[in-house]
Amino acid sequence: MTALASPEVGPSREDVRAIYEDVRAFYHAYFEALDDDRIEEWPDFFVDDCVYRIIPRENYQAGQKTCIMQGDSKGMLTDRVRAIRSTQVYAPRYCRRFYSGLRLVGRTGRQLQIRQNLLVVHTLVSQPSKILGCGAAHDRLTLTDCGHLKLVERTIVLDTEMIDNTIIYPF
Amino acid sequence: MNAVARHWPDAGETRIPYWVYTDKDIYQSELDRIWYGAHWLYAGLEAEVPAVGSYRTTTLGERSVIVVRSAPDEISVLENRCRHRGVTICQARSGKLPVITCPYHQWTYTLDGSLRGVPFRRGINGKGGMSPEFSPKDFGLVRLKVEVVNGVIWASFSDKTRPFREYFSERLWHSYERMFSGRKLRIDGYTRQTIPANWKLIVENFRDPYHAGLLHVFLPTFGLFRPDQGLELRMDETGRHGSIMPVPGHDPKAHSGNDFLSETAHDKSFKLADRRLVEAVHELKGEETVSTSTVFPSVIFLQQLNSLQVRQIIPKGTEEFELIFTFFGFEDDDEEMRQRRIRHGNLFGPAGLVTVDDFEVLPMAQSTYRAAETEESVLMMGQGGRVNSDEGSLATESPIRGFYQYYREVMGL
Repeated sequence: MTALASPEVGPSREDVRAIYEDVRAFYHAYFEALDDDRIEEWPDFFVDDCVYRIIPRENYQAGQKTCIMQGDSKGMLTDRVRAIRSTQVYAPRYCRRFYSGLRLVGRTGRQLQIRQNLLVVHTLVSQPSKILGCGAAHDRLTLTDCGHLKLVERTIVLDTEMIDNTIIYPF
Repeated sequence: MNAVARHWPDAGETRIPYWVYTDKDIYQSELDRIWYGAHWLYAGLEAEVPAVGSYRTTTLGERSVIVVRSAPDEISVLENRCRHRGVTICQARSGKLPVITCPYHQWTYTLDGSLRGVPFRRGINGKGGMSPEFSPKDFGLVRLKVEVVNGVIWASFSDKTRPFREYFSERLWHSYERMFSGRKLRIDGYTRQTIPANWKLIVENFRDPYHAGLLHVFLPTFGLFRPDQGLELRMDETGRHGSIMPVPGHDPKAHSGNDFLSETAHDKSFKLADRRLVEAVHELKGEETVSTSTVFPSVIFLQQLNSLQVRQIIPKGTEEFELIFTFFGFEDDDEEMRQRRIRHGNLFGPAGLVTVDDFEVLPMAQSTYRAAETEESVLMMGQGGRVNSDEGSLATESPIRGFYQYYREVMGL
């Protein structure tokens, strides 16, 4: 975190490399928690005042706000996790996320703008694995006072035109 | 169209044979008699085609259509199929066009579907060209009958379809007018999903008050649904359309501590960390807290909390359908209301905190039907069918029986 913690550090090659290393480590932990079905840990990757969205590309491009999944605070993400665990009815499945093309788009103080491509595959009992979604994530990460990276915003713009029935787990 | 050689169970609509969800001949007959018959199909909202030339493509039954504003006060619904070689003309979902041109040989149609231009019709240098018998007026795009009712565009493949309000009936008009009063709509976006189940199952699901607080544990858990609350169930005279509207109970203590809660195993201590998810303001006419209506056969309207939505059904064979949600608000909504609607949208759609339950349970039903076609569902909850639809209780399946009374008539079953 050193490169990001000291705002006076310029964008030298080494600093940028160090930032990428930290950011990659963050996403590896994020995706591993989700892929391993430790979704109770998911809200902790966000700051309290956060935004999480999975939005169809069709809506995003038209400036329409309807999302497939949305949280306007860490509390709403916690509520979603508790609904997944206690109230929603659905067939059991595995869900795995693949990202590529991670890029540091910009940096403002302690905030980083990151984008990445995303592919999500789900597998239901006795069924072949299917693509659940494909799109791009536009994220903002911040370095907290404790020295951890956290998501301030994660907006996943989904190319997928026709969802394979339902999305249970977050991406 | 011959009646399909199937025998409905002698017990009438209290039994639904599983072959109605699996038989390909039944499905073809449904397309012919229901989807392409004398029924209104949901084709979109007027707000989606605001200016002359604005169009959207959608699917009615299994046919692609172009919904286009062809004049300031005219909307045309045209089959998206060139009369020359059958090419799908418009590939995009929406846009704006001065005329409609097929990409293959550039046959060009006006916005109301009339054929205006055929390249090389007179030949080239006196050679070739269209047969003198060819008359462009015989080859316009296939036009559907259209009626725009309070901002909703209805289309029909049959010219025998009755005017919409008569079709939907006066008994149900209130549920329609409540959402579509004529106030200008604003489109907030769409979700689209494929559900591996027969299209009728989603209609039945919306005519099934019995499941509401049982399958959807989320609703009673957060106080959005009480099994003892008043419930207004209505159907039209034929049974094909219906509405279910919960109303606040007049005596909230009458059934307090009811046994419903003890029968479900949900966690009573579950409190939302962020209440904004369900905080709503009353806005529509009447005291109903939720309104749902089904307009046979293609669409469901729903208002819950401050989420307003259209759910369009597109059949895709016996065991699959597409469901398209159009979320909307009103042009004069303030920013707070706009955000509220979007936030409440979390309960609905392909990842909806509530709707996921329905979309997951329907395939669980469909998946057993093929191997057990001669078995049947048992719908003996409550009394009567369409003739007795105002029972005021959720412990009834009469709206589903009403649906099947009409279904059997139109299908000759």
